[in-house]
Amino acid sequence: MKCEVSQERLEEYLDGELNERESREIATHLATCSSCAGATAALSAERDVFSRYDRELAIPPSMWDQIDERKAAPLIIPVSNNGFGARFAALFRVPRLGFSFAAAAVLAMFALVLVAVYLRSHKPRQTVAYTPVPESSTPHEQIKSKSSTSPDADKSSPILARHNPTRRTVPAVSRHNIDQSDVLSSDLGYPDIEDQETAKHIEQTQNLLRSIRNVRLNDNDAEIDVSYDKALSRRLLNENIVLRRDAEMKAKYPTKMLLSDLEPFLIDIANLPDQAKPEDVRVIKERVQKTEIVAALIGY
Amino acid sequence: MKRLALYELNLEAQPGAFAGTLMNSSRDLVTRVCQGDQEAFRLIFDRYSRPVISFIYDMVNDRELAEELTQETFVRAFRAIHSMKPETKLSTWLFGIARNVARESLRARTRSTREVTLEDESVMDLSDHNPVPVDRLLSKELNDLIRRSLAALDEDKRLVFTLKVFHQCSYEEIAEITGFSLAKLKTDLHRARAEMRRRIQPYAGVGYEV
Repeated sequence: MKCEVSQERLEEYLDGELNERESREIATHLATCSSCAGATAALSAERDVFSRYDRELAIPPSMWDQIDERKAAPLIIPVSNNGFGARFAALFRVPRLGFSFAAAAVLAMFALVLVAVYLRSHKPRQTVAYTPVPESSTPHEQIKSKSSTSPDADKSSPILARHNPTRRTVPAVSRHNIDQSDVLSSDLGYPDIEDQETAKHIEQTQNLLRSIRNVRLNDNDAEIDVSYDKALSRRLLNENIVLRRDAEMKAKYPTKMLLSDLEPFLIDIANLPDQAKPEDVRVIKERVQKTEIVAALIGY
Repeated sequence: MKRLALYELNLEAQPGAFAGTLMNSSRDLVTRVCQGDQEAFRLIFDRYSRPVISFIYDMVNDRELAEELTQETFVRAFRAIHSMKPETKLSTWLFGIARNVARESLRARTRSTREVTLEDESVMDLSDHNPVPVDRLLSKELNDLIRRSLAALDEDKRLVFTLKVFHQCSYEEIAEITGFSLAKLKTDLHRARAEMRRRIQPYAGVGYEV
């Protein structure tokens, strides 16, 4: 026997995995070959090293008690897979779809999203009668202003509701019937959750600022109740700070700049007294108009 | 406690050792458990808990987890013992359950425990150029080195190496426990031995390269 053959089989030889004839051949070779005998000795020494391995493990006395307790619990009776009963039961068993089911579900959801996107982009435009909002600063805003004429917008802008009687003439049109292809935020357009939150935040802030900008101040009014707007502004201010920091951390600088621009307005509104003087509101209103912050929000 | 693995699996072939326990063959014990004898299962636990916990510890490299998984192994064994085939060797069957339990745990466990690699500093620290003869090497150091070297093996190699080297299973038994083909387990075992040898060599004086 050649040394190469012998050495290839040494491990199996020492493992006792060779048959009698093969073992005898190796043993004969080892008796005459010092090199292979040395290799065998080295392997034996290696085994000796591993035999010294002490894991220092002990069986905790409590282990049996825990096993005893658990095996006393109600058992799931093992059912033989070979019996007639098992085969009969298998006829009515719900198949285990496992990964294939999950993959199918994901594909189905993806298809639904595609259909939804397609339907949104191909939806026939509906003509909706609306009253243009006065004092819109740009034509672009006027196009967009119908989004704020919805009942929800009125609800979120009590100043607007109180001081702009023309707003009440807006026909009550269901939000769902309005063509929303140009709405500011849409979940599909903002796949990132934080982007969705930012879009929602900007939409709410836009409504607030729009209500301030469009408020009709009457010099005869001694005070204006802005308690709702003030509370809303405080909430939006807190949100704004968080979102601005997030945008900064994620290097979304245009978003960060926009949110930074918003903050002074929100601070001013939040610091108004509940019963604000018309002059105080007018100052904020004029700043909103001058800076065209609403237009900037629409552009987001 | 040393050398547990070397003899425990061969208990059935060592009449006289632990005579009180071995008066019952494994097959008899299984039969008695199936007939409702609770004490027989306790004897099975006493006989096999150490090799099982050693095997699981080699696989998961976590002492507390090994204890939990050993407990789980015996609970599963008790619940499934009625379906054990008569021709199956009890130790092989238990190792098969232990292997499944350990594998499930490894799959579920987050990779919080960093695997040791050859590049790992703690391994490299020991692999200096001043090998110490094995008889002078502190046993704790050797244990630690073997443990970390084992952990650095991939799962399949660790499995076959542990079963063969520490638990003296035959190739046939390893194939039954692991479901590997004979060719795969031989290859994995050879490579595992080579990797272990490379790591242990500087300290054990094992200079042979197969």
